[in-house]
Amino acid sequence: MKPEHKEDVCHDVVERVFEAQMQRVQRGEVLLETIINDTIYHEKKRLHADPDKKALKYWKSVNKRFLLADRKEQESILKELIKIFIDEIVGHFDEKVYRFSTNILPVGLGILLNTISPRVLLSKFPRLPDLRDSLLIHGEIELLRELEKKGTVILLPTHSSNMDSIIIGFALYKIGLQPFTYGAGINLFTNWIVSYFMNNLGAYKVDRKKKAALYKDILKEYATVTIEYGYNNLFFPGGTRSRSGAIEDRLKLGLLGSGLKAYINNLKNNKEQPKIFIIPCTISYELVLEAEGLSKDFLRQTGGSKFIIQDDEFSRLGRMINFVSSTLSLDSRIYVNICPAMDFFGNRVDKDGVSYDKRGRKVDIERYVFVDGQVDHLKQRDEEYVRQLGTEIVQLYKQYNMALSTNILASVIYKILLRDNPQMDFYRLLFTGGEKEYYTVDEVLEPLKVFMVELRKLEEKNEIFIDERLKDADAEVILNHALKRFRVYHNKPSIIKKNEKIYINNCNLIYYYNTRLMDYGIEIQEKNDD
Amino acid sequence: MTNYHSVGVIGGGSWGTTLAHLSGINNNKTLLWMRNGIDEINTHHRNSKYTKDYVISEQVKATNSLEEVAENCEIIIVAIPSHSFRQIAYKLGNYVKADQILLSASKGLEQKTRSRMTTILVEETCCKKIGVIAGPNLFEEILKGHPSATVVSSRFNEVIVKTVKAFASKNFRVYGNNDVLGSELGGAMKNIVAIAAGMIDGLDFGNNSKSLLVTRGISEMCRIGDRLGTNNSTFTGLTGVGDTMVTCACNLSRNYRVGYHLAKGKSLNYICENIVSVAEGINTCKVIHEFALEVGVELPIIRGVYEIVHENKDIMEVITSLMQRKSLWE
Repeated sequence: MKPEHKEDVCHDVVERVFEAQMQRVQRGEVLLETIINDTIYHEKKRLHADPDKKALKYWKSVNKRFLLADRKEQESILKELIKIFIDEIVGHFDEKVYRFSTNILPVGLGILLNTISPRVLLSKFPRLPDLRDSLLIHGEIELLRELEKKGTVILLPTHSSNMDSIIIGFALYKIGLQPFTYGAGINLFTNWIVSYFMNNLGAYKVDRKKKAALYKDILKEYATVTIEYGYNNLFFPGGTRSRSGAIEDRLKLGLLGSGLKAYINNLKNNKEQPKIFIIPCTISYELVLEAEGLSKDFLRQTGGSKFIIQDDEFSRLGRMINFVSSTLSLDSRIYVNICPAMDFFGNRVDKDGVSYDKRGRKVDIERYVFVDGQVDHLKQRDEEYVRQLGTEIVQLYKQYNMALSTNILASVIYKILLRDNPQMDFYRLLFTGGEKEYYTVDEVLEPLKVFMVELRKLEEKNEIFIDERLKDADAEVILNHALKRFRVYHNKPSIIKKNEKIYINNCNLIYYYNTRLMDYGIEIQEKNDD
Repeated sequence: MTNYHSVGVIGGGSWGTTLAHLSGINNNKTLLWMRNGIDEINTHHRNSKYTKDYVISEQVKATNSLEEVAENCEIIIVAIPSHSFRQIAYKLGNYVKADQILLSASKGLEQKTRSRMTTILVEETCCKKIGVIAGPNLFEEILKGHPSATVVSSRFNEVIVKTVKAFASKNFRVYGNNDVLGSELGGAMKNIVAIAAGMIDGLDFGNNSKSLLVTRGISEMCRIGDRLGTNNSTFTGLTGVGDTMVTCACNLSRNYRVGYHLAKGKSLNYICENIVSVAEGINTCKVIHEFALEVGVELPIIRGVYEIVHENKDIMEVITSLMQRKSLWE
């Protein structure tokens, strides 16, 4: 949020949320007392679980005032609560920090790594590792660049790591765009370096522990208002990082709903550039920083106990440096693949911002939001548009997914394990890694060849992307490529090759990396019992 | 601003004409798109080829211009057989705009793609407010003014509200639901059950057999619906049980007649050439049977109809094999 807009945006959010709440009260949907009570209750509950004396004192005082308040005072308390929340949420954008960070970040990480890797410094021709070499941006880059000039863009990346926001931020810089506004989980601010950049590069804070309905309404309205002010937004529609490693197939659509609301408001207010463009993108890592923590969390979740990870690899600086070091020194790649742009109704959009139906005919999209011939909101209709858009986004994610060597090898190994251990249930298989102690290289190469044939067929049909280094590579090259990556970074490498034998070392990670290619129906050759 | 003041129906067959009439008697100006018989409707208010001598509402104007329908109608119902549905939908797609409502009134699946008719409307036009109109609707009874009901299904409540307003009248109730897939599947699959019902009557088996067929047929609908994510209660409503009952009981139903004449020893070719021109159940049973095999859902009655209709198996042999299946819990 640029300093010159901050006050107006906050004012608009406060007024709109207050107005909306009071309308609900007037319609008899809810009592004003209930809104305030619910907020105080959830905040006090949160603060009891996660003590903060100063905050607790404040909420107790609000409670006291509320108990004695007449109607006018209740309204003033409601407004105050909205202000308190919005002040906490609102992000900040500092041009100087932006220039500084975009200049130092890529090489800076490299320099940082050299302090731990003296071999690189002392080598004859030292070459500092640079994020710029590792991050590859594919897909509709030019379209993104053009549409950013023609309206407001909402970028929707897949989400597998807390590194994603940094990667996207850097990708946008590489493309030549300023950072997008986005809501970052408050737990990300625990890492002081990241926190500094996030605080100054437009991120706004989202505290997932705040459960009050009022807080969620404020978040949504904040997103709506920033979009109306023309701030390009970044949402992770998966909500949180994919625990299983799989590409998202179910999306949280609340913030997309805010976008549609902003579009309708833009039309109603006759904005010069009312259009909002939806651009999904996939982020694919050969190694995922938090893979171990996330995969454990996934298994715990599917086993029944759910929780939010507060302290994982991302919050530990050492692990992060280790990850970046592994990524950069390995010629490892991170792909950002930008999907085609859409409007809110799932139509494709060209570089001029014009929408087209599935048969390539121009569509006047303003009409989608007509109510009796006039542009207006219609709650159920708009929710359904957003639901349908979610389906389109999921399809694009699948289509623009990038198959990397680690995903491919993990998929093949996992399928081999399933094939050879049909009696084992899922958890036992992951726990034991199957009955066989090891596989010979040939036992892995044969199914890998079959897998690649199928994968390449899918790529020909534009149903997936394959890492360009693997497109024509033979199975052995792919195997070694993946093994080399699996060897580094993770505490316990998932797959190890020793004396021409392949050992399954960490089946959780194999499952985690495999899920990325799970929904494509790719099979390996059936085991021949003869 | 929009300028819609009419309801549109695409397809002047018996059901399309009846729908146009229902809209017309509700005082809606109604445009009925058709290729032949335009003058007869506009001059004599009759469509003798499809709706015999019944008088059609004077509010109904026939036209052969899709553009005219698209220019004037907020609600457009497409009542075209499944084999030519896509082609007409594409042409309509050249004229319709994003705020219009499109409803399918065709009960079938596209053979080549297995697509439902609403999917085709989404693919071939820019419209998003899509729905289906389905139920136990024999045109003759409706044109006689006998009490009847139908269901309009759409994910958009706005579509349901506007369609109810356009079509509900003192003798015709219109219900709404959001289960588009369930309503379309029910409407399509009852045609397969109707073929089997015709066979049962052709073989003079009586009511026990037909009751067995209908209830187990509904059960098969629920099974495949379950696999595809429909709401099972849809199949116990008008588009499932309701539509199946009426089609299986009525010897005027085209699908029923296919089954009846097959049981009487006529060949499918003969029936298609001489008795019924279009019977959606023939194609639908192939599509559903193949899909069930792919996804591993057991549909014995539908498989039986498929074997008789498409593999020329002996009817008695199929019935015997169905009756000799292992007894199970219901």
